[in-house]
Amino acid sequence: MVDALTRSMRASHVLVAILVAASLAVAAFGVATNDTFYLRLATEALIFAGLALSVDILLGYTGLLSLGQALYFGLGAYLSALVLMVIPSFWAAFAATAVVAALAGLIGGFIVNRVRGVYFALITFGMAQVAAKIVYNTRALGASDGLIGVPVININLGIASVSSASPAGFFLFVLALIVILYALSAYLLDTPFGRLLIALRANEARIPFLGYRTMTPRLVAYVLAAMVAALSGALYPMLRGFVSPELFFFATSGNAVITVVTGGAGTLVGALYGSVLLTVLKSVIGSYTEHHLIVIGLLFMGAVIFLPKGLMGSVRPLIERMLAREPKQ
Amino acid sequence: MSEAIQYFQFVLAPQMLIGLVLGVAVILVALGLTIIFGLLDVINMSHGEFYALGAFIAFALSSVGLPFWLLLILVPLVMLPVGYLVERGLIQRVFHSGDRHVRTLLLTFGLGLLLEDAFRLVFGPNPHRPETPITGGVEAFGIFVPSYRLFLIVVGAAIIAAVAFVVYRTRLGAMVRAAAFDRDMAASLGVPVQHVYAGAFAFGVALAGLAGVLLAPIYSIFPTMGRDFILMAFTVVIVGGMGSIAGAVVAGLLLTQIQAIVSLYISPVWSDPIVFGIMVVMLMVRPQGLFGRLGHG
Repeated sequence: MVDALTRSMRASHVLVAILVAASLAVAAFGVATNDTFYLRLATEALIFAGLALSVDILLGYTGLLSLGQALYFGLGAYLSALVLMVIPSFWAAFAATAVVAALAGLIGGFIVNRVRGVYFALITFGMAQVAAKIVYNTRALGASDGLIGVPVININLGIASVSSASPAGFFLFVLALIVILYALSAYLLDTPFGRLLIALRANEARIPFLGYRTMTPRLVAYVLAAMVAALSGALYPMLRGFVSPELFFFATSGNAVITVVTGGAGTLVGALYGSVLLTVLKSVIGSYTEHHLIVIGLLFMGAVIFLPKGLMGSVRPLIERMLAREPKQ
Repeated sequence: MSEAIQYFQFVLAPQMLIGLVLGVAVILVALGLTIIFGLLDVINMSHGEFYALGAFIAFALSSVGLPFWLLLILVPLVMLPVGYLVERGLIQRVFHSGDRHVRTLLLTFGLGLLLEDAFRLVFGPNPHRPETPITGGVEAFGIFVPSYRLFLIVVGAAIIAAVAFVVYRTRLGAMVRAAAFDRDMAASLGVPVQHVYAGAFAFGVALAGLAGVLLAPIYSIFPTMGRDFILMAFTVVIVGGMGSIAGAVVAGLLLTQIQAIVSLYISPVWSDPIVFGIMVVMLMVRPQGLFGRLGHG
C-alpha cells in the first residue's frame, strides 16, 4: 500500500523515464546525423534543468521562492572552472564543488532562513546580487570577461572514459548525472524528512507541537538545493569551455523560476521538462525573431494565471491514476 | 582650513549632490513600490518596466512635438488607466489564491519580461537621450549645479510631499490606509475596497511613469533602464520598511548618499555590492525595515 504522495513521486519517476528514453533517441539521432549544435544545446538544457531542480526543491517542497539560486549555480561553475584549469580532472572539480557548495549553502542557509515568505525571496535575491557584483568586479576572477580557456577533459568512469568535447558522449554523461541528482532529491523528499518539509509549507506554526524542529529541515533543504544547483553549474564550463559573470545574474535565477513554474512546481520532474520546453521554445522562436522574451513572458503569465500547477502538475495526475489501477489487475 | 573647504566644495559636495539627485529619483520609484506593497501585499516586479514605460511614452509623444511640460502631466494620466487595468485584469486573477506573494510576484515578473522586450521591439535596443528641458546652471557658494538637476530635486521633493499629504491627510488617503489595515472592516464601512486597490496600484504605476519622464534627460531611455534602477528602489523599500512612505524617503536619501561616498572613497564599482549588502543585513536583523509597514490587521 502506498500513500498518495509516494504514488505522485512514482508518477514523476515514470515521466523521467519517458524523458530519458526520448533523450536517448535524440542522442542516437544526433550521432547518426553527426550533429554537434543540437546535442550541445540539449546538454545545456539539462544543465539548466539541474538548476531548476534546485529551485523546485525549495519552492515545491518548502514553499520558499528563491530568486537567487544563480548564486550557487555560478559558484559551482566558477569553482569547477578554476579547479579544471589547475587539475584537469572531472572528479576533482566535482568533489571540490560538492564540498564548497555544502559549506556555502550552510552559511547562506543560516542567513536566509532567518526570514520567511516574501522576505525570503528578497534576501536570496539580495545575496545573489552581492555575489554577482563581487565576481563582476574581481579581476582575479576575470571580472566582466569571466574565465576563458577551461581545458577539454576526459572523464574517467573506471570502465570507460568520456571526453567533454564529444557531443553525444558528454550529453549522455550529463543526462546520467542530472537523473542521479533527480533520483537523490526524489529519494530524500519521499522520506519522512520530505513529509516534514511539506508540513512546513502547509503550516509552520504547528510543527513544533508535533515534536519537530523547523530550522533543521529548512536548513537541510536549503543546503540540498545549493548542492544540486552548484553541481549542475560545475558541468557548465566543461560544456562551454568558459564561465562568465552572467551565470550569477538575476536573469539566470529568474529563468530557473520560470522553468519550474511552467514545468510544474512540486513535481521535481517539471523542472526537467520545463527546461527542455523553454530551450526548444527559445531556439524555435529565436530562429524567427530575436524577441523571444515576449512569447516566454506571455507563456509564463498564462501559466501563472491558468495553469498554477504547471505542465507536469497537470499531466502527472493521469499517470497517478494509471499507477493506482495497476495493483487490482 | 581653506584646503578643507576647497575639498568640500570641489570634491565632496558635487558628489553628494549627484547622490541627492539619484536619491530623489529613487524615492519617486520606490514610493509607488512601497504603496503597492503596503496596501495590496504585492511585490511588483514589473515596477521598473512601468518606469521605463513612462519614459518611452514621453519619448514617443515628444517626437510628435508635445512639449516636456505637458508630458509631465500627460504621461501620469496615461499611466493611470494602464495601472488600473493591470490590477483588475491580471493581479486580481491570482490575488485571492493561497500563495498570493509568490504568484503575484511571478505574474508581475512575467509582465516585466514582456514589457522589456516590447520596448526593444518598438524602440530598438539603443539608448535615446531626450534634450534637457532646462539648460544652464546655477552657481551657489562656488558649487555649480545644473539647473535641471536643481529643478528635479525641487519637483521631486514637491511630489513626495504631495503623496505624503494625500496618504496621511485626505479622506482618500484614509480610505487607503483603512483598506491596508483591515480589508474586510474597511469594506463593511463602505470603502470601495476593489477600486481603492486598483486605484492605489494605478497611482503607484503613474508615479513610476512620472519618474521615468523626469529622469530620462539625465539617465537616457533604453529598454533595460528599469532593470538597473529597480534594484536600487527595492533596496530602498526594504531598508526603509515595506509599505512605509517615511521609510522610503529616509532610506532613499541615506542609501544614495552612502553610494555616493563609497564611490568617492573606495570605488564606484563597489557601491552596488555595499548597498545590496546593507539590504541583506537589514533583512537579517530587521526584516520589517527601519519604519515597519502600514499596519496590517
